[in-house]
Parts: sequence; C-alpha cells; structure tokens
Amino acid sequence: MGSNEKSTIELRHIVKYYGDFRASDDVSLTIEGGRLVALLGPSGSGKTTILRMIAGLEHPDGGEILIDGQVVNDIPGSERGIGFVFQSYALFRYLTVYENIAFGLRLKKWPEKKIRERVFELLKLIGCEGLEKRYPGQLSGGQRQRVAFARALAPSPKILLLDEPFAAIDAKIRLELRSWLKEMITKLGITSIFVTHDQDEAIEVADDIVVTNHGRIEQVGTATELYTKPATPFVVQFIGHSTPIRNFTEFRSFFKGQENEIGILRPEYVEVKKITEVVRYSNSADIGYVRDIIFRGSNLEIKVDIHGNTISAIRSINEEPLEIGEKVWVFIYRMFVIDDRKVELRENASLREDSLVI
Amino acid sequence: MADTKKVAVVHEGKAGRRIAIGACVVFLVIFLVLPLVYILAVAFSDGWLGYKKAVTDEYAVKATLLTLLATVVALAINTLMGLCAAWAVTKFSFRGKKILTTLIDLPVTVSPVIAGLIYVLTFGRQSFLYPYLEKAGIKIIFAVPGIILATVFVTFPFIFRELVPVLTAEGTDEEEAAALMGASFFTIFRKVTFPHMKWALLYGMVLCTARAMGEFGAVSVLSGHLRGKTNTLPLYIELLYQGYDFTGAFACSSILMIFAIIVLILRSALEARGKTEKNV
Repeated sequence: MGSNEKSTIELRHIVKYYGDFRASDDVSLTIEGGRLVALLGPSGSGKTTILRMIAGLEHPDGGEILIDGQVVNDIPGSERGIGFVFQSYALFRYLTVYENIAFGLRLKKWPEKKIRERVFELLKLIGCEGLEKRYPGQLSGGQRQRVAFARALAPSPKILLLDEPFAAIDAKIRLELRSWLKEMITKLGITSIFVTHDQDEAIEVADDIVVTNHGRIEQVGTATELYTKPATPFVVQFIGHSTPIRNFTEFRSFFKGQENEIGILRPEYVEVKKITEVVRYSNSADIGYVRDIIFRGSNLEIKVDIHGNTISAIRSINEEPLEIGEKVWVFIYRMFVIDDRKVELRENASLREDSLVI
Repeated sequence: MADTKKVAVVHEGKAGRRIAIGACVVFLVIFLVLPLVYILAVAFSDGWLGYKKAVTDEYAVKATLLTLLATVVALAINTLMGLCAAWAVTKFSFRGKKILTTLIDLPVTVSPVIAGLIYVLTFGRQSFLYPYLEKAGIKIIFAVPGIILATVFVTFPFIFRELVPVLTAEGTDEEEAAALMGASFFTIFRKVTFPHMKWALLYGMVLCTARAMGEFGAVSVLSGHLRGKTNTLPLYIELLYQGYDFTGAFACSSILMIFAIIVLILRSALEARGKTEKNV
C-alpha cells in the first residue's frame, strides 16, 4: 500500500519572519526518501514553522522548498502529496470516523466502492475496526491519534508530516503509540517528519534527528551522533541530562582550561563509589558528599556536592546503598568542554595514561 | 464532631435553598405570571366573540403581518451580516477589528429611541440625502423600509454575539486540515465550519426573532403610526390602549405573547439538542 517512490525533501536557505521575529534563519536541510526524521528543539525554536512550510500552510519569505527536486514554493499544500497530522488531530468532529478518513478521497472523486475498501483497509491497519460509525468525541486520545494518522494516509501521500503527534496523549499510552507509529511508518516506508520537543521521543522514534534552536539548524544526525559528537554548544547542553560546571579545572585530571570555557557533565560519565570501595583510578578521583538519592525505578540517581557544584550520577540498585551526607569517591570519565562556538570532548587524563600502559 | 458539623451545613444549605427558590417564585409570580394572567383575563373580558373580533380586526391583522414581515426581513439580513461579521472578526486579523466589534455592540447599548432618531436625521427631510432619496422615489421615514431598518439595527448584535465565541473556540486546525486535503472554501464551510456553529446560529436567530417582534422604541420613532400601513403590532397595541380599548389592546398583546411562547419553546428545544450533540 502507499506509493513506492520515496520522496526526498530539500530546504534551501529558508527564511521566515513573523513580524520582527525570525522563525527560520537560513535553514537548509535535505531529507532522504523513506527516512523518519524528528525536528527537535525547545519551543519557539522554529521546528513547527519548518513543518508548516513544507506542508504549504506557511510561505517562506526567502529560499526554496523542493520535493523530489521540484520547487514547490508556489504549489498549494493540497497538491504537494502530503499527509498532515495536527497536534490537536483536527479530526472533523461532526463527521464519523469513516467520513473523516474518506474526506480526502471524496475530494479526489474516488468511486464509493474504492473509498469503502480504502477506509476499511486503513481501519484494519490502525487496529480500529468497528469504530467507523463513531464520532471523534467518542474516541480515546490514542484512537483519535490513530484515526488522524489514517486520515492523513488515506490519499496515499508521498510525505507524512506530524506536528507534536504525542503531545496530547497521557504518558502511558504515549509510549505505546510511539513504538506503534514507528512500526507503521517503517512498514509503509513513507518519508516522514515529525516535530517534538521531547528528546526521548525523538531518540526512540526517529532515524535522524534535526536539532533546531533560534530558527536555525544546529545539527543533523542519528541519536548516537548527537550524543557522542555534538556539533555545537547548544546540542551538548540540550541533549541528555547535562550539568554545566564552570570550575571544571578544579576537578582532578581536568586541569587545562581557558577563561570562557564551561564543562558539561552527564550522569553517565560519572561514577560514584563508597569510600570503602576499591577505586581503580583513586589518584584522579575527587571527594564528594551525597546530597540526595532519587529512586528511578531501574536505577538510582545520586546527586553529589562537589567543588561547589551539584552533579548527578547513576548508580545501580544492586550496589551497596549510599546515605545522604555520605562522603564518596567521584570519578569522572569524561566531559564536554564548550565555549561560545566549539565543543570538545575531554577524557579524564588518567584514562589516557592507562591506555598507554595497556 | 465532624458529623454534626456536616449536618449543620446541610441544614443551612436546605434553608438557603428554600429562601432562594421562594424568592424567585414570588418574584416571577408578581412580575410575570400575574400580568400574563391579567392580559388574558382582560382580553377575554368581553367573551370569546369580543376577543375574536379584536384579533381579526382589519388593522390588527395588518399590524401582525407587518410585524412578521419586519421580523423575517431583519432575521434574513442579520443572519447574513452576522455570519459575515463573525467570520471576519474570528478568522482574520485586520486593522480596526476592535473598533468593528465595539461598533457592532452599539445597538445593545444605545437606547432604541435614539436609534430611531438617528435614522430620522439620516434619511429625513433635514438630511443631505433626502433630495436624492426623493428623486429616486425611495421613502424610508414613516414607511415600511424605515420600520425594517429600525428592526435590523436593534437586532443586529444578537447573531454576531452568539457566533463569535463558538468560532473563536474552534480555531483553524480543522479548516487547515480540510484545505490540505484540497477542499474548497465552500466545502470547508459546509462540512467543517457550519456544523460547528449551527446551534449557536439558530440560537442567535431565535433571540433575534424575539427581539424583532417586540421592538417598540426605534420603530415608534420611524413609523409615523399610520394605521394599517406602518403600524406594527406593538405600536398598534399602544394605540388601542391609548384609545381606552382595553379588550382590543390586550387581545392583540396575547398574539405577541403566543409568538413569544413559540420562540421560547424553540429556544429550549434548540438548547437541548445542541447539548446532546455536544456530548456525542
């Protein structure tokens, strides 16, 4: 089902203003056919604007939008071969589920028999058989989202655009829908872009993530790339649970540093050990004090006061329990060091020495 | 301890309820039921034949028809204009929008008599427009167009006011979704926008009708009180009353009353249906 040709999308130097506010600032981006891409960024970073411009709901003030190599700036959204899922779903509340899904097909003057086949095919796909006579108001949040998805897919679009598709659903069903949506889109192989402000969502669902900030694109890459090779200071701080450390040179084995540099620490780079436990690199570990212990289900988050900072670390629940106020060893494997423009990953010096020995 | 407190509160609540309901009932009886019953009593004081004669009087029939005409025309114009204005205000942003919304509410705040006088000044003999109107053979003041004009003016805000909150609440997502699928403006209106505002629109129309039928002040100024020509039902009733024809006045009042009751029934029926549909 769906069309087999996989559409590529290209944005070239897109600029968009809302009054004085620059929503898109020289945005250039290529999305390969069949990819599932997340536009990730804080609110007001211009991610929804990009999506709406691709859909033809907004018009760029400068630059070009290309679909399959053709400039579509002056082609109305309805002729771009796009399916759009709105954040609020925007289901037609005075039409039944059946009529909602059939809406686009009727406009394309499909014969009634074909419409019927298509609607039931989609209902089966989204697992909502038997709901065709219901009105949107009679559906649960998850069902509404599925119907909105089916409605967008009905006319076999080449591109699927989703604006914050999980924002309006409660946490538990959200997780379920995420994997469902990823599965569906992978199965259909349709080029898809979704907007989100939730990095977990982007990481779990998307093949590629586009990080936006202040109307610009900061970095495009897979989740792993964003984690391990963040290209800009913004990405370092935005991805993961980062703690900025101004006085990072005070930490053992992180002695070098310029005036304007800041260390960015993530919990997974920190190891916390009891004073009595054996520490491999004891000469490069610091002393800290446990400030708080938070139970995270599968592990514990330990907040430690160290050199005037409060940093987070992850500790397994299988290890010997810590107490608040306890004096502990803190070993930092690595941290990112950023200034205004560039990012650098610095390893703990003793790790390098160790590898030399080996 | 806690239990006794709770009971006390409930008792207080009960007393409060009795007082509130009692006050409402007394008020309604004195100000509404009593006068209504009195109207009927006086209307039928000369017996059924007297009532029939008063109601089927040539001038009474003409006044009723004129009232209905003015109401229907005002309703048609206001439905159209109310739709346009509400649409414009909620779906687009433009300069002077605030002023427009304020102006639309003007008829509610201005006394109807003043509204009537405004039209007399605009279209009457003193007006610079008068020579042109006379040349074209258009008579507005002391004629049917004037009555309709006054009725339209006084009832204009009702439909607009009912529509604006509904259209504002709806937002534009559904319309955008339909447009992205290639729906034309009229398809979007018919399938998406209209069903949403249907009940609000009907409700506004009911309010507009009720007000149009009873309008006295503005119409009185513009009418000229020509019996059988420019007398609407409320004006005719006043005329009869001034001539000490109480049976006639009250009999004609009962016609208006019946209209009002029909409108009220329509209103509650609409409200009920609108509610059930919303719960769907």
